Amino acid sequence: MFGYVRPDRSHLSDPAWESYQAAYCGLCHCLKRRCGFAARFTLQYDFVFLCLLLEDRGEETVCRRRCAAHPWRPRPCLAATPAMELCADRSVILAYYKLADGVADETGPTRLKSRAARWALGRAYRSARGRQPDFDRHVALCLGDLDRLERENSPRMDRVADAFARLLAGAAPETGAGGLDRPRRELLYHLGRWIYLADGVDDLPRDLAKGRYNPVAARFGPEPDLTYLATTMTHSLSLAQSAFQLLPRTRRGELLENILYLGLPHVQALVLAGKWDGGRKRGRRDQP
Amino acid sequence: MSDPYSILGVSPGASDEEIKKAYRELARKYHPDNYQDNPLADLAEEKMKEINQAYEEITRQRAGGQSGGYQGQSAGTAYQSQSAGAAYQSQSAGSADPLLRQVRQSIQMGDLNAAERMLTQQATVKNAEWYFLMGEVCYRRGWLDEARQNYQMAVRIDPGNLEYRRAYNMMSRGGYAYRPYGNDMADTSACDCCTTLMCMNCLCGGGRGC
Repeated sequence: MFGYVRPDRSHLSDPAWESYQAAYCGLCHCLKRRCGFAARFTLQYDFVFLCLLLEDRGEETVCRRRCAAHPWRPRPCLAATPAMELCADRSVILAYYKLADGVADETGPTRLKSRAARWALGRAYRSARGRQPDFDRHVALCLGDLDRLERENSPRMDRVADAFARLLAGAAPETGAGGLDRPRRELLYHLGRWIYLADGVDDLPRDLAKGRYNPVAARFGPEPDLTYLATTMTHSLSLAQSAFQLLPRTRRGELLENILYLGLPHVQALVLAGKWDGGRKRGRRDQP
Repeated sequence: MSDPYSILGVSPGASDEEIKKAYRELARKYHPDNYQDNPLADLAEEKMKEINQAYEEITRQRAGGQSGGYQGQSAGTAYQSQSAGAAYQSQSAGSADPLLRQVRQSIQMGDLNAAERMLTQQATVKNAEWYFLMGEVCYRRGWLDEARQNYQMAVRIDPGNLEYRRAYNMMSRGGYAYRPYGNDMADTSACDCCTTLMCMNCLCGGGRGC
């Protein structure tokens, strides 16, 4: 995924921020333990959000751990939960497909880099796929649709975004309880549309320069109506927020609310103003 | 029924004022306006009923424990979600064309694919209502760009229709959602008639006990 889904630190209490960091470190350790060292490089903010969203009401255990990124001072680290393990597997699967996409679409050194990274992640991917075969099929199906629409150069922004939004909506496992599953699916669907459009706006200059498909350019031409885009993206966020409010309140309420109501609009404003640091969101691991 | 205090998220020792505040905040959160045309509207309505019942229960309990002057307020204070919901439904009942009436029914039942199929079959005679209903299908799917375009066409063909205008206005301000961080986060342009009505509704509904 893309790393857009992050909290707004300036409006977050210190304990909430620490619990976010602990979840981040926890997911990173979980990735390594479950899928091997290479899997750690797939760590993204977006999956920390998913992890917090799916977390059950069970006891939380926080320990202190060192790692390669924090070799001197051990950091608080959330012990693995079933939700976290699920997110770790799904994060690896999605990252692998994204690299495969890079190998197919890119040229020159970027393609070589994607190829090498895909090779490095191969083992982690196969082990994650073994545990989550349904999600693997779901991702393949949605990305297949996305790829087909992009090749058709579809001007129907919503339809193209729908393929990605469906992918994300399927990231939450079904629990069988409609009161929980439906708002979760809706939340993730609207978030998925928002992420896809944010990425489209962010990639616009690069895609235009390279002559690649861009959903925003296909819909609006090379100079999109940014006010219109801001409104439609904000609307997706509104729907995601309304769906979120129907979920049972957990101890992550403050964090999730901060991400949905402050973090995402902040990122949206930066992306639309062309001030989002595109170089930092790709490749290098994000650090809270 | 589970503990009414925990439903409102307050401690049993909370003051009347605190309880009223918590109740109003929740009523603002699950207000039908935030879930209009939303596939989750039924869940929001359930929540609204739950907090209404909890609030009434607490008011009743406290009125029983206190002497004099408190009775009679309990029933009137609770926010009436039923009436608002009914008002929206009666608005969208009329449709002259039997096929479009069927489309409306499918949308109400959440069968968006069937609704879309019927609409595309009838694509030769696109009137304002056709565009509006196509907009409704798109909106419920979260296809907000296409929803807005369809609503816009409906308004363009039939500018006098309030139902179409309401839908289009909602799209052009990015939807309604509860905002937990107070008014500083809200859009300052939020002074159209729907919002004003919503605010008045809250004030009148919750303020009666003051």
